[in-house]
Amino acid sequence: MAKDRANSAEYTTPLRNLLLAILVICLLGLFLLWRIDSPRVERLRAQITDTLVPNMDWAMAPVTGTINLFRDFQSYRRLSEQNQELRSELRQMRAWKEAALQLEQENARLLDLNNVQLDPRLTFITGVVLADSGSPFRQSVLLNIGARDGLVDGWATMDGIGLVGRISGVAENTARVLLLTDANSRVPSVIQPSGQRAIVAGDNTARPPVDFIENRDAVRPGDRVVSSGDGGVFPAGLLIGSLEIDPGGRLRVRLAADYERLEFLRVMRHYGTPAVEDSGAVIGTTVQTDEAINE
Amino acid sequence: MSDTSGLRMFMMRSAFVLLALCILLGNILPLQTLPRGWGGPDVLLGFALAWSVRRPDYVPLGLLAVVFLTADFLLQRPPGLAAALMLLAVADLQTRTRILRDAGFAAEWARAALLIVGIAIVQHTVLFILLVDVPSLGLLIFQTALTAAIYPICVALSAGLMGVRMTSPGDLDGFGQRT
Repeated sequence: MAKDRANSAEYTTPLRNLLLAILVICLLGLFLLWRIDSPRVERLRAQITDTLVPNMDWAMAPVTGTINLFRDFQSYRRLSEQNQELRSELRQMRAWKEAALQLEQENARLLDLNNVQLDPRLTFITGVVLADSGSPFRQSVLLNIGARDGLVDGWATMDGIGLVGRISGVAENTARVLLLTDANSRVPSVIQPSGQRAIVAGDNTARPPVDFIENRDAVRPGDRVVSSGDGGVFPAGLLIGSLEIDPGGRLRVRLAADYERLEFLRVMRHYGTPAVEDSGAVIGTTVQTDEAINE
Repeated sequence: MSDTSGLRMFMMRSAFVLLALCILLGNILPLQTLPRGWGGPDVLLGFALAWSVRRPDYVPLGLLAVVFLTADFLLQRPPGLAAALMLLAVADLQTRTRILRDAGFAAEWARAALLIVGIAIVQHTVLFILLVDVPSLGLLIFQTALTAAIYPICVALSAGLMGVRMTSPGDLDGFGQRT
């Protein structure tokens, strides 16, 4: 038996090294393939996630639920203090509600007068967050709706209030949402009320910085940042957050969406704004008349 | 005898896969969607290293390759690179089982920490050279240090709860032969 063992050890070591070499080469090959043809491998990734994660949801949902319950329970300790805060906030809100009602009536009257059609195609689908990215280096979440529900890459995703991110990677039953905080996220935006154009660029922090702003003096902390619709990926006018200045003097966005607890997300159906491609008949005739006048 | 040890081998391999799945699912639970300034340790790597030193026959290379690649896919890492490096590290430990068993735990921990740091450095360098956006250095250093620091915990859990211990001279291995 000892002899067998010695023999097998002699044979297994080179075999094992061969196996190791093959496995490592395969893995590195996959990595290089990903570097060269990223979309194809990312689709593969989406499919693998799609088969694994929804099947595991029965195990993950109770754990998430329990931990959230425990966190809620912890917050009970600060109950009385919170109660005071809420009361004072409620008093302020009453005043605001009154103002809002008046504005709403006025708005309705004005819309009626102008016969305005708000974009009827901008409808939404709501999905539940299944999983997050699982890595501190990436900021994304996985939704339980996918190509089956007609989702398309690039659609904007919101929670009830503000923009959360965009769809990036759709599989049959799941879709990944790249959050605004991810280092790869760039959103063209407008700062209201000054109308300055800028880009909200994620950098893996909770407050994404604002880049490429035209005139810094025209904006102030507290200004609203909304999506501009440039580039045709997002619809215009979705609320992103409000502007603030960090201690380093850099402009950042305090996001309106509640990133602490992303649970239900709305995906806005958006079929793109039609682009003006030809020069247009109006301009053509004007040019002709100009020429005619010159002649 | 070879029947029972074969069954045990199968059980322990399944246990490792189950453990890996639990760790991965724990990682992707949607509890923290706000970016944070710290990263959790790579628990899966810790356990894989701990098991490889103790019982290489429980964690064959093929199985580890599949598990690591799944982790790469699920955790949004560049697929393949981290898996290949971890596989090399694990294979290195598997060939040193006997030396490390005789050298004591401090030597084992030092070797594991060296491998963990090596993985991080090589991965970062390769990503940098291939112009993939590299994660922030502070976060990476923090995560690597934490992974090296929790290695003894992984060892204690494996040995204490799951019975993955070093084979001592005279024990029988999975094929009913003396090690």
